[in-house]
Amino acid sequence: MEKGYSIKSKPIYGTLVWQDHAMHHVVIAEGEGGKALLKLFQQKLPREPLSVLYLAADPQAEKYATTVQKIINEPVTIKDSQAELLNALKATLDSCYMGTQFYVAGTEGFIWKVAAVLRDAGVDDKNVFKELCGSLGRRLYCVHCKTTNENVHHNIHVCTGCGRHLIVREHFSRLMGAYMGFMIDAEVPGEIPAAEEIYP
Amino acid sequence: MNMAFKQETLRDDYTFSNSPESVRRFPFPFDEDEYMYSVNIEPHDAGPPGSVFEHAIDIDEHYLTECEERRIVLEDDHGRYVALPHMMDAQWDMVELVMTNLAKDYPESFQLTQDGDNWHWVNQPLGIDQKFVFGDTSTLPMEPFEFISRQVQGDWVIMDQRDEDLFADLGIVTGQADWSMAFDAGMSFKEWHAPVPHAPEMGIFDRALKYLLHLQYGSPVRRTNWRMCVNPRLDTSSEKWHLWGPDNVSVTAENVAEKVYLRVELQALFRLPRSNAIAFSIRTYMVSLEDLAKYPRWIKRLYRVLTSLHPDLAEYKGLNSYLPYVLNWLKPQDDGEVLPKGTQPE
Repeated sequence: MEKGYSIKSKPIYGTLVWQDHAMHHVVIAEGEGGKALLKLFQQKLPREPLSVLYLAADPQAEKYATTVQKIINEPVTIKDSQAELLNALKATLDSCYMGTQFYVAGTEGFIWKVAAVLRDAGVDDKNVFKELCGSLGRRLYCVHCKTTNENVHHNIHVCTGCGRHLIVREHFSRLMGAYMGFMIDAEVPGEIPAAEEIYP
Repeated sequence: MNMAFKQETLRDDYTFSNSPESVRRFPFPFDEDEYMYSVNIEPHDAGPPGSVFEHAIDIDEHYLTECEERRIVLEDDHGRYVALPHMMDAQWDMVELVMTNLAKDYPESFQLTQDGDNWHWVNQPLGIDQKFVFGDTSTLPMEPFEFISRQVQGDWVIMDQRDEDLFADLGIVTGQADWSMAFDAGMSFKEWHAPVPHAPEMGIFDRALKYLLHLQYGSPVRRTNWRMCVNPRLDTSSEKWHLWGPDNVSVTAENVAEKVYLRVELQALFRLPRSNAIAFSIRTYMVSLEDLAKYPRWIKRLYRVLTSLHPDLAEYKGLNSYLPYVLNWLKPQDDGEVLPKGTQPE
C-alpha cells in the first residue's frame, strides 16, 4: 500500500464515549461489540434514560449479555437474530425524541444496517457514534451484477452473483453499507493476482 | 442555428463521427502545456455563436444519437437513474430548467407554452408532444426528472444542499467516465469524489465545495474535466467495465489515431430555485486523435500535457494500457513551437 494514500469515503470508526448532552441514550451492539458495551459502562452508568439492545447469537456474546445486564441493573433487550434486533430498534425509536444519542458497536456490516434503520427514522448521522468490533469482513457490492457479498475477507473475491473476480475498491457507500467491487481482469481476462486475506 | 441531427451509434459498430464544425467547436481543455487538477471554475456565461458555450445547455448534432443511447442504457439498467424521495421539488426544478432553456435557445426544435401550471411541451426531434400540470407528477408518463432527462444530452446529478454539504441524491448517469451513480447515490460531495488521486490532499474539494455552497440562482458556473477513451463509447460506466475494459488493450500503432478519443466533460452547475439544490451537468464531447490533429495547436499541446502527466493521474484516468501508442503517434507532430496560453484551435 502506498504511503499516505487513502480514499476519503472510507469511514473511520472511533471509540464509544457517552455524550453528556444527551436526553436519552440508545446503545445497539452485536457479538464482539459486547466488549465495547462493557467499556462504555466502565466509563459510567449515565443518569439519562437508557435503552440497550444487543444481538447475542453465540456463547461468548451471551456471556457479554449476562455481564452487561448485571452491571447496569436495567432491562437489556437481547435478541438472537439481526432481523429481530432491528425490529426491536424500530420499536424503541417510537419512544425517542430530539436529543437522543445513538451508539453502535459491531462489524461494519452491522453498523451500517443499524445506521440505515436510524436514517429511515430521520436520525441525523452525526448523532450516531460507531465502534468497529469483531471481524473486519466487508460487505462488497458488485458494480456489474449488483449483488452485495457479505463477509468478504480477501482483497479479491469471486462474486456470488456473477462469478467475476472482484477487486475491493476502498470506496464506501454509507447508503449501501458496502465497498465497491469491480472486475479485476476486464482488460486481460484471466490475469488475476493471488487473493490476500486482508480483512480477517 | 440550422442543425441536422445525426443518427449514430455509440456502441457495437460505432458509427459516431464528428462533422468538421463539431471538431472545431470541441471544448479543448488544456490552456497550458502542463496539467494538474485545479478548481478551474468560471461563470457559465454565454460564449460566441456556434461555440459549446453559446447556450446554457448545448444541443449539438449528436442530440438524437445521445438520447437514443440513454434510452438503450436505461432499458438495460434502470438503476442508472437514481431519485431519492426527498428530491421531488428538485425534479420539477429540472423540468423547468431544461424546458425553458431549450425552448428559448432552440425554438425551431423545442416549444414550451406555459399557462399558469398548465404546460405544453413540444420536442420536435424526438416527436414528443406533452401537456401536463407543473407540479403534478400524475400528469406525466414517468417521474418528471426522468421524463426531461431522457430529452437532453449529458449526465446530470442534482445535489441536495444541507448541513453545509452537497449530496448526490438525484441523478441520471448513462455516459460516465468510470463511476457509478447507483453506488455513489446519497454520498456527500467529498465521499463522491473520494477516489480522485491527490485532489483531496490539495484541498481541491474543500475549495470547490465552499464555492458551490454559495452558488447563486441565475449565476451558473462551469469547468472542464477530461479523460480519454478507446472507441466513441459514451457508456464507460463502472457498471460496464467488463465490456469496455478489453477495448483498452485493443489499441495498436496502426489504429491509435482513429480509435483513441480525447473525451472532455463540460461541467456546468446551476442553482435550482425551489429546492435550493444544485444541478450538476456533465456533458461529454469526444473527438478522435485523427480529428484533433486537424488543429496542430491542439495536437502539440496534447502531446506536452500527456508527457508531463503525473503517473497517478494517468492511472486514475485509465490511460496506462494505451498511452505509449498515443505518445508515439503524437510525438512527430510536435515541432516544439512555443504555444501561447489558451484553448483555441488556431
